[in-house]
Order: sequence, then C-alpha cells, then structure tokens
Amino acid sequence: MKILVDLEPGRTAVVDELLFDSADAVRLMELGFIPGSSVSCQRRVPFGDLAVYQLDGAQIALRRETAERIRVRPQVARGGG
Amino acid sequence: MMAAAPNSAAATASRPKAVAICGAPNVGKSTFFNRLTGLHQKVANYPGITVERRIGTLALPSGETVDLIDLPGIVGLHPRSEDERVAVEVLEGGGQNRKPEAVILVLDSTNLEAQLRLVPGILKFGVPVLVVLNMADDLAARGGTVDTDAISRQVGAPVIEVSARLGTGMESVREFLEGSLAPPPPVQLPVLNSIPAERGWARSVVRQTGYHPPEPSRWGRRLDSVFLHPVAGPLIFLGVVIAVFQSIFTLAVPLMDGVESLIASSGGWLGASLPDSMLKGLLVDGIWGGVGAVVVFLPQILILFLFIGILEDSGYLARAAAIADRSMRAVGLEGRSFIPLLSAYACAIPAIMAARTVENQRDRLATLFIAPLTTCSARLPVYALLIAAFIPDEPLLGPVLGLRAAVMLGLYVLGFAVACATAWVLKSTVLKSTPAPFMLQLPPYRWPTIRSLSLRLLDRSKIFLRRAGTVILLTTVILWFLASVPYVDGQPPEIGDSLAGSIGKAVEPLVEPLGLNWKVGIGLITSLAAREVIVGTLGTIYGMESDEASPALQQALRSDLSFGSAIALLMYFAFAMQCMSTVAIVRRETGGWKWPILQFGYMLALAYVTGYAAYRIFG
Repeated sequence: MKILVDLEPGRTAVVDELLFDSADAVRLMELGFIPGSSVSCQRRVPFGDLAVYQLDGAQIALRRETAERIRVRPQVARGGG
Repeated sequence: MMAAAPNSAAATASRPKAVAICGAPNVGKSTFFNRLTGLHQKVANYPGITVERRIGTLALPSGETVDLIDLPGIVGLHPRSEDERVAVEVLEGGGQNRKPEAVILVLDSTNLEAQLRLVPGILKFGVPVLVVLNMADDLAARGGTVDTDAISRQVGAPVIEVSARLGTGMESVREFLEGSLAPPPPVQLPVLNSIPAERGWARSVVRQTGYHPPEPSRWGRRLDSVFLHPVAGPLIFLGVVIAVFQSIFTLAVPLMDGVESLIASSGGWLGASLPDSMLKGLLVDGIWGGVGAVVVFLPQILILFLFIGILEDSGYLARAAAIADRSMRAVGLEGRSFIPLLSAYACAIPAIMAARTVENQRDRLATLFIAPLTTCSARLPVYALLIAAFIPDEPLLGPVLGLRAAVMLGLYVLGFAVACATAWVLKSTVLKSTPAPFMLQLPPYRWPTIRSLSLRLLDRSKIFLRRAGTVILLTTVILWFLASVPYVDGQPPEIGDSLAGSIGKAVEPLVEPLGLNWKVGIGLITSLAAREVIVGTLGTIYGMESDEASPALQQALRSDLSFGSAIALLMYFAFAMQCMSTVAIVRRETGGWKWPILQFGYMLALAYVTGYAAYRIFG
C-alpha cells in the first residue's frame, strides 16, 4: 500500500508525503495530514468517490483524486500503536 | 509584553476597546460570542469590503464597554479564502482595520493537540491574548481532563476552561476584559516556521501538562454510520428535504393566518379611524396592502431558516454536502462551490461573495454565474402566494407530502438543476479548468442550542423586515403615486387609466405571450428591484381596485389569471434575475459589466422561454 486511496475502511497508516504544490500541501497539513502522523480510513461515502478519513483531531472527507496524491506507509507496530 | 493586561494598552482612549474573537471553524466560537453579548450584537461589513462581521457590545461591571468582533473561522494563518484573509487582516490591523486591543482565542478542549497549534501564531500579533478552552462540558462527560494553569505557564498567556453552551467559566472572560485576570509570567516561545513544527510544539505542551484527551465520541461514529450509510444515508437526506418543505406549508400556515389577520384588522381599523384623504389611501391601500402582503411571509421564511440552522449547527449539513458531492462533480464544479450554492438558498448576494472561497478563478466565475439561479428566500413569498392561489391543497404521498409542498420542492429542484446544467455548459466550454483538491471537514455532531437558533432567526427577521421597510415600502409608495395620477375631474383615476396603468399597458404586449396581463406587467417592472416586491405591488394594485382594506390577494389573482399564466409566472420568477442588488454585486465582484449583462440576459431569456412554454402547455 503506497497511497491513501488504497487504505481500506477500518485500517490505519502513516502519512508519508503530500504530492501537492505548497499552498495545497499547507492546507492539508493544517487540517492534520502531517507527514509522520497517523490516518485511518473511516468509511466511503455513498454515491461517488469521497472517503472519510480520521486524523488526530479532525474528520476530513477527500475525493479519490486527492487521496491518490497522498503517500502513506504502513504503521509500524509499537506498544499500543 | 504579550501578557500585559488589556486595559494598559489604551487606557486613555474614550472609544470602546476592540477585542477580536478568533479560532478554528466549529469550535463553538459563535456560541461563545452569543453567550457573551446576547442581543447586544449587530452585523456590519468590514471596512472597504463586504464580508459580514458580527460586532457585539459588552458592558463590564466597571462601567467600561468593550466591542467584541466575531472573526470568521481560521484553519491556520495561511489564508486561502477571502474569509480567512479578512480574519488575519483584522488581527494584523492591516487594511482599513483598527488593530484589536486584545484577542480571545477559542479552542476546542476535546481536541487540544490539533487546536493548540494556533496559539504561537496568535501570540505573535503582540496584543494580550486569552486562550479559551471551550466545550468543557463535553470534555468532562467523555472523561478527559486539562490543567489550564499548567498550559498557561507553558504558553505565557492566561488559559481558561469554559462551556459556552452551558455558560460556565464565563466570569473569567469578563475578568480578562477588565484587565483583572492575572497573566502568567511571559514565556519565550520557540520559533515555529512550519506546520509540522507547530504541531510538534503543541504535542509537547499537551504531553507536559498532563492533558487527558476524552474518549472518542461513540455517538459521532454511530450517527455517521447512519447518515453516511449507502442506503439509509441518501434516503434520510431526501426525507429531511421533504420534511423541510412540508413544514413550510403545514407549520407556517397558522402563524401566517395570525399575521395576516393582524395586518387586515389593523388596516381596517386605520381605514375606519382616518378621514377620507389621499393620505388614507396611501396608508391603507398603498402601505398596508403592499408591505403587509410581503410581511405575511415572514413565518415561512423563519421556518426555512430554523431548519437550515438546525441542520448546520448540528453538523449534519457537512454530511449532506458529502453525499451531494457527486452531483457537484458531475457538472464539473469543485466541491467548495457547494457551500456558496447552499447559502444562495438564503440570498444570492452572500453566496456570490462566498464564491471568493473558490480559489480557481474560472470555477469562481461559474459559481457566481449560477448562484442567482438557486431558489433564494426572496422567491419564497412569490412562490408561496402563487402556489396557495393556484395549486389545490391535496395530499400527494398520504400525509407525508402534500401537492403544494411538492410543487414548492419541485421549484427548488428545478432551480438547482438548471444551475447545475448551466455550470456544466460553462465548465465544458468557456470556463474549462483543472480541478483543485477537495477537502471537506466533517465537524463533530452537536446539539443546536435554542440561544443560537433564536439569535439566528432574530437576525433573519431583522433583514427581512428592513427590506420590507425600505425597498418594498419605497417601491410601494412610488407605485401608489403612479397609480393615483392623473386625477380625472378631481377624482383619483381608475387604476387602468392611471400613469402606472399606462406603463403596464405599454409592456402588456411583451408579457402577453406568457398569458400575463398589464397588472402583472407592472409587477414585473417593480420587482426588478427585488423579487418579493411583486407581491407588494399586486397587493397594492388589487387592493386599490377592491374596496376592502385587506384584499384577498389569492382570490383576486385566481379570478384574473389562468392556471397556465400562473405556471408561466412561476417559471419567470424561477429564472429571471429580478434583483438589482445581485446585478450590482456581480459587477463589483467581476470588475466589469460583461458578466452581469451576460447573466441578466441569459436568465431573462431562460425565464421568457420557459414561461412561454409553460403557458402553451398548461393553457
């Protein structure tokens, strides 16, 4: 699994890299998509291609093509992680 | 310096101290503001631009008064939208804004790590800051704790815990405003030049001060699994929409009857107690008949806004936006256009200004082009009048949906569908562009508070009645004079022979293909100012024709227009850009006459063609 869009509902990963220009990347980070932080896919929204992601402190819906440009890496199993 | 007491800043100033309230969206900032100021608030524009701002006055026990400014929500200090730019500009004291003497930063205490990130940036503005950790009730209920003193020592600014919803902890806010809240010793904050660094700092503060985050809300998950369920979600969405429209008719009717009989009896009393004179005619026929005909619709508008308020404050609207995203996408608009279009249901003007949140210039043009096609609340009185006069009050889906509510709903859907189709045409031709990333924040679910809802309705009533008292009153008075001259043998003319009548008859050939007569023709001219003016105009015209103080406007219309003409008139109002304020705002927002002229022409053509077709079909 390399990009956020492949994250199945119920699974968690770690944000790795945002493949956006700086203004878009800043806003994504302000919303909580910070490299190194964890992100889980909560559910897909009916009708269409939105998915709801749970971050530390926010619940954000992204379209497929946005989630395709966020690289993630698997969560390293740590105590309690 | 940053921790100095607020009243040391401008102790000699005689004008009230300005204090800005800022924070991220959905942290209960408005509830906090409402709790502090209650009814002592007004909506005004920021100097030089037209983004609305809310200012409240607060009298302190010391006798001093403070102006509180409720800033738009900011996600960070890197503004992307016009709203956020305004908030940051006010904090900086840039533009024509006066720099606030102090800032109250409202944070959501249930989500402290993400929220605390904003503190260093706000402290950098160099004025006293009070950090308010809101939603203390929610935090405690879900087993979280926060040590405000410890955080206060870490950030070097006073930190307090409040529940704006319940009104707890608010004394400390007044103490801060009076300058009697002892600030902690100043702290040198690290230089944070990136968002990950800010977030890292926030994390360390949260850890060092022993913050216990609350248990995740199980309700939120459960509600989402219902509202965003593949089958139940869209059905609930549909059910909610139907319920809103049904209640516009069922719930509002007794209230409207009340208002109507009040206006009729006061008009009758006025008519009986005044001697016959021109003034009496103006008051009874002109003003009571005209303005009164519009004021009757206040209950319906309030019920619509009550529902919108509940949907918005509870957090459901963001879920509805998520479900509706697909249709926005299908017409080539970016998701953020959805929010301006939603506010267009209230009025196209704030919607056109809110289109500034759309960063892509071409998307922004498309959004403001289609905004006046969505059904604004000024159309509601026109629709309601014509529907009540011409559509029978019959059930359609048993008790769930009546025929009248269905027609009203149909008109809303029609406006939205044509707006989308127009967007699609524009976006696939002259305004083609690549889409921007779409990020929709889903706020936590919350109970709407009676306080916030009633303030919202009060606001709406003020706006509506102000329009009734200005634009509608003025056009009504002018119309009444035009309808009262020239005198024939010392007597006021029959309305058909008056100046207004001749104007109406001059345009009659233009409106005849839609099955409309010269009286409606006059209304189409006066309502160029604002749509609901036509209701007042028809009220005046039919009122002057009949001898009654309160014209039974619906009956008069029924006897004067055919069913097909009524449908044609509905179509005309669904599409024509009968609103000079909208034309003016589009001109200003696009910086020229090209777009408003195009828009006006397009909408007029649409109105005329569909009106003509409707009259042909329905006879």
